[in-house]
Amino acid sequence: MVLKIVVWSILAFLLMPLVIIVLFSFHASPSLSFPFAGFSLRWYAEVLGNAQLGSALVKSLTVAGFTALITLILGAAASLAWLRLGPRGRAVLEVLCLTPIALPGLFVGVSLLVLFAQTRIQLSTVTIVISHVVLALPILIVAMRARLALFDPSLEEASRDLGASQMQTFGKVTLPLIAPTLIASAILAFAVSFDEFVVTSFVAGTETTLPMYIWSMMRRTVTPLINAISTLALVFSIAILFIAWLIGHLRRRSAVAGRTVS
Amino acid sequence: MTIRPPVIEITAAQKMFGSFQALSDINLSIEQGEIVTLLGPSGCGKTTLMRLLAGFETVTAGTIRIDGRDCAGQPPERRPVNMVFQRYALFPHLDVFENVAFGLKVKGTPKTEIRERVQRMLHIVQLDSFANRYINELSGGQSQRVALARALVNGPKVLLLDEPLAALDLKIRQHMLVEMKRIHAETGATFVYVTHDQDEAMILSDRVVLMEKGRIVQVDRPETMYAVPKSLFAAKFLGETNLFEAAMASDDASGMTAVTGSGLRLRSSIVPAGELRGKVIVSIRPESFRFNRDNDTTQSATGKVEDVIFIGSRSFYTICLADGVRVRVQVQRGTRTSLPKPGERTEIFWDSDNVVILPQS
Repeated sequence: MVLKIVVWSILAFLLMPLVIIVLFSFHASPSLSFPFAGFSLRWYAEVLGNAQLGSALVKSLTVAGFTALITLILGAAASLAWLRLGPRGRAVLEVLCLTPIALPGLFVGVSLLVLFAQTRIQLSTVTIVISHVVLALPILIVAMRARLALFDPSLEEASRDLGASQMQTFGKVTLPLIAPTLIASAILAFAVSFDEFVVTSFVAGTETTLPMYIWSMMRRTVTPLINAISTLALVFSIAILFIAWLIGHLRRRSAVAGRTVS
Repeated sequence: MTIRPPVIEITAAQKMFGSFQALSDINLSIEQGEIVTLLGPSGCGKTTLMRLLAGFETVTAGTIRIDGRDCAGQPPERRPVNMVFQRYALFPHLDVFENVAFGLKVKGTPKTEIRERVQRMLHIVQLDSFANRYINELSGGQSQRVALARALVNGPKVLLLDEPLAALDLKIRQHMLVEMKRIHAETGATFVYVTHDQDEAMILSDRVVLMEKGRIVQVDRPETMYAVPKSLFAAKFLGETNLFEAAMASDDASGMTAVTGSGLRLRSSIVPAGELRGKVIVSIRPESFRFNRDNDTTQSATGKVEDVIFIGSRSFYTICLADGVRVRVQVQRGTRTSLPKPGERTEIFWDSDNVVILPQS
């Protein structure tokens, strides 16, 4: 009973900020405190009407999308290698991956800026994506490692034994089994990139991402616009999860249905 | 009548892992339709030998022919063998039907044929109503059947089974052994079965291949291997036995009598595999001893009953002989002779065809 109360209060503590943000995003007045003065969609209208905010959002989505895609491809290759490495190789890979995570963002930002300056690469969306891949890839590999450790290599042998070539085995066994891990990791990379601020501010040049825009907004005054933006981001991430679940569910149903009709 | 070549023929096969010799000088041929078990303690190379047959490892030297064809350089997917893995290795993202259909699908078999063959195979392993179940919804015994069906549906020349019952508990294991025999009879495939469990090997096999330290030490029918082990290792690994340290009797030119340190003469009528000389070990199984004399060829000794252990259908007597050597005697329940009680002195009898004289190492 006591444990139950503890669990619920921890959950409540974690979810409270979300509830407050969603609630105040519908607030009719610009005040960010109680008493609540009634519902309104004015902040959403203002968000949609704000061209600067819109372009920052598009920029962030583009950067996050490319970051997720690139880290997904590199991460998939790395995970396949990881599955085939011995314990010593795995240890080396892990040390190499963990080191960048331990570095402060400030340090990474400065060193990337110096690197781009030395190699005369113009600061642009491309440099933001490169920087975000550098940040997201180690996190992605660490996140995947735990899941991949559960992958049973004898499944690949079973597939070969049953007559599947190496490519067929990859397509029919390895990829479907690591796909949930890869997709989860790609979403993680997307999230890392989407709200990255410190490193981005070094390498963005004249570009503005959403976190940078919000930051510049906040420096003037705290506006309820931020609540609306956050709520939209929340709905967006829930939608992604729901779609992923739906795809898996529908595929399963069609597989069973296709067999019983004879 | 044509003489069929053996379905598996291994000649002088060797396998090295780095500088470790996993298998040396393996020669073995297996006939169509046989159940052969590769039996031995862990690390004896039995699993390596099976992986060589499956194509997951390649021989360092020697040749392996399956169905008359040399397998050198043949990847696993092109060999006419299928394997049942130790922990089943069923595909968790597919259901039972899709698991069994996997091999047929990658070979491009027509859909209607896949459905027929998978359903027939699920019927053989008695899982007709489980086609749409996911793997994580199955019990150990059911997973085992799916693994069998998934391999057998491809109609392999040889079915390789890598300790398939190791993960099951005793009751289901015994049931699956009976099932395995029935499925073997129904499909007619050749079974090569790896196990470290001597009971499984004896119940299941037509022939047992006993392995130790990367070598084959004996190949025989289970009854023969039990009755006439050719080495101390074989005598100890299969079943229980009494071992006596002895020396070959100098007065017996036929080399069939050994004498223990205390002067007990042990005569054997089993022709030894090689020449026996000097110090030897004599093996007599516990069930070879009796408490009654029944013909004049029997040998005998006297001792004191130290201990009696009753285990249902049989009892084990520990008899301490005059020189302090202890002998285990097994008596089947229902034996109509009068049995000695603990503490009593008694005479034990045995026949020379139950005495096996073995070289010391």
